[in-house]
Amino acid sequence: MTRAFAAPVGRAVAAGPPVPDLRLENVEVRAPDGRAILSVPWLEAPAGAALGIRGPSGAGKSTLLLVAAGLAPVARGRVMWGEADLAAMSERERDGFRRARLGLIFQDFLLFEELTAQENAAVAAAWAPAAERAAIRARAGALLDRFGAPRDREVAAMSGGERQRVAAARALAGDPAAVLADEPTAALDRDNADRLAGDLLALAREAGRTVIAVSHDPALIAAMDRVVQVVDGEVRG
Amino acid sequence: MIDAFRDAWLDASPAAQDALRLAALLAPAALTGALVLRGQAPWALVRALLLRFRWTNLLFALLMALSVGLGAALIAQERAIREGSARAAAPFDILVAAPGDEIGMMLAAVYLQPASAPLLGGEVLDRLQRDERLTLRAPLAFGDSHDGAPVIGTTADFLPRLAGPLAEGRVWETAHEAVVGARSPLRLGDAVAPAHGAGPAADAHAHEGAALTVVGRLAPTGGPWDRAVIAPVEFVWEVHGLANGHAPGDDRLGPPFDPAFFPGAPAFVISSETLAGLYGARARHSDAASMAFFPGATLARLHLLLGDLREAMSLMALAAQALSAAGVLGGLVALTRLFARRFALLRALGAPRRFVLAVVWAYAATLMGAGAALGLAVGAVGAEALATLVSARTDLALSAGIGWAEAHLAAAVFSLTTLLALAPALAAYRRAPVADLRGG
Repeated sequence: MTRAFAAPVGRAVAAGPPVPDLRLENVEVRAPDGRAILSVPWLEAPAGAALGIRGPSGAGKSTLLLVAAGLAPVARGRVMWGEADLAAMSERERDGFRRARLGLIFQDFLLFEELTAQENAAVAAAWAPAAERAAIRARAGALLDRFGAPRDREVAAMSGGERQRVAAARALAGDPAAVLADEPTAALDRDNADRLAGDLLALAREAGRTVIAVSHDPALIAAMDRVVQVVDGEVRG
Repeated sequence: MIDAFRDAWLDASPAAQDALRLAALLAPAALTGALVLRGQAPWALVRALLLRFRWTNLLFALLMALSVGLGAALIAQERAIREGSARAAAPFDILVAAPGDEIGMMLAAVYLQPASAPLLGGEVLDRLQRDERLTLRAPLAFGDSHDGAPVIGTTADFLPRLAGPLAEGRVWETAHEAVVGARSPLRLGDAVAPAHGAGPAADAHAHEGAALTVVGRLAPTGGPWDRAVIAPVEFVWEVHGLANGHAPGDDRLGPPFDPAFFPGAPAFVISSETLAGLYGARARHSDAASMAFFPGATLARLHLLLGDLREAMSLMALAAQALSAAGVLGGLVALTRLFARRFALLRALGAPRRFVLAVVWAYAATLMGAGAALGLAVGAVGAEALATLVSARTDLALSAGIGWAEAHLAAAVFSLTTLLALAPALAAYRRAPVADLRGG
């Protein structure tokens, strides 16, 4: 079951930079031994779309997501976010692009257990310019409230569902144009998985953000606008 | 320009020079920190890293503290011994003894270490007594003891030079009265029966029947004389069956002594009004029959000799600290690998590589800084414990507090380790996040 959220959190959540289309053209990713591990002749996700990626384990789904985030190097091809080609950028430029435009969520949360939910959600404030830190912290707090995660509790004391909500708040606190999620519901029970998926998609749609999610979760996949399959390193559908 | 700096440096007070040295030693760490942390706010994540493996981190900080503390304690102790031994030698302007071993005689006269020394005879006494430029010519006669404390024979005019005004009681008026050092357990009115010799070989019955009554107590000198029983030299001569320095029928105590009835003394303490007078006295009384020397200068030579040993010890301490720091930093490298996925996550979230560098460096620098600061506390406790042990063995009053030298050591180690901490920080900086993100 998914939940729709009507309560706004104001500019802290809704506003953001213009959302670009994602377009992958003739992308090929190779392993260090030269073996091709992912081939994407063409993939497009219009701005504001929810794109699901499914496929068997080891097929290259996560690699596709890392390519879209500019984290996995490509052997050839273009990874276009609007007019920006991540494949042609320097590492520093890709860092800057992710910082400004993307939010990431991982299956196993990757939170700092000793910090509070608020500190985790606002972690981007640590490297943001001083003038932007307060806004990131405010957005993080508002998102935690909206996700129903306690701000001041240490993550170590939280359930899996609460942790993933903190991770989602962290992904959105930087006010990204797109959220890339790798198996965001895999470590959650059904109720928590539905709640997170509902909250995430509702928030993204409110702000017109693109959501790209790799998942085995039929419920999450079913909630996406469009679904592609990755099989044996090739994108289909 | 350079001259102006040199002049300003020479004009600065010692404390200002030490403070500037400290600042200079901390400068590499401060500069590195300023460069690495500029524009970053890594402290929340540093706190997370510190708490994540708190016991391992504590162990690393303690290792560092132990390493710095040992070095600091050694330096503080060495300085305390040097200062304490110099303070104890201060009342002894010039010692005159039979030609031979200056160091042995200094140890015997100043630090009351058991020694067998040839005696100076009446000829030397006569020459000293005729020397009108001397303000003091006090014989020292040692070799007896009471309950392990040395019994020293001398003249009353040496006592004010040794310890200033008495702390308690009065100076002896008869040959059977004595004063005791400030730390002697004897009280006024106690009887003292001296044994011949010192230590386990002392013969308690050799001077049977001879007794002293304690009538005064010296103020503290900070040296072994603080435990001694100090008696008229005439008493010491008499209990050994010798003439007492005066012609029969002459019951006076103290100088002048009659060279014809002078049984001999292993040493005299002599003094003069001025520094020039002291140098003159040393020259006049150094000949075939006697050697005159400044115990302070002999001690300084000894310190110089031991200085090489001290430098070797300091180098070893520094090497131990470097090894310890390298071990700790090696551990930190391993520890930061455990955080690799989280650092990769930071990169995935858009953190620049420089931010990861700042987190790892600040984490390592915090541990090293805590270790160095804690090391000073360990050094202070260690130096005090060592001082207590050494004081008990030497009777030197040692004050082994932490000083500038120890602060300089801790600052140098801290700065060095913060530079070394760039190694794990750069390793994290260079690490590509994609493999760690996949690594699960």
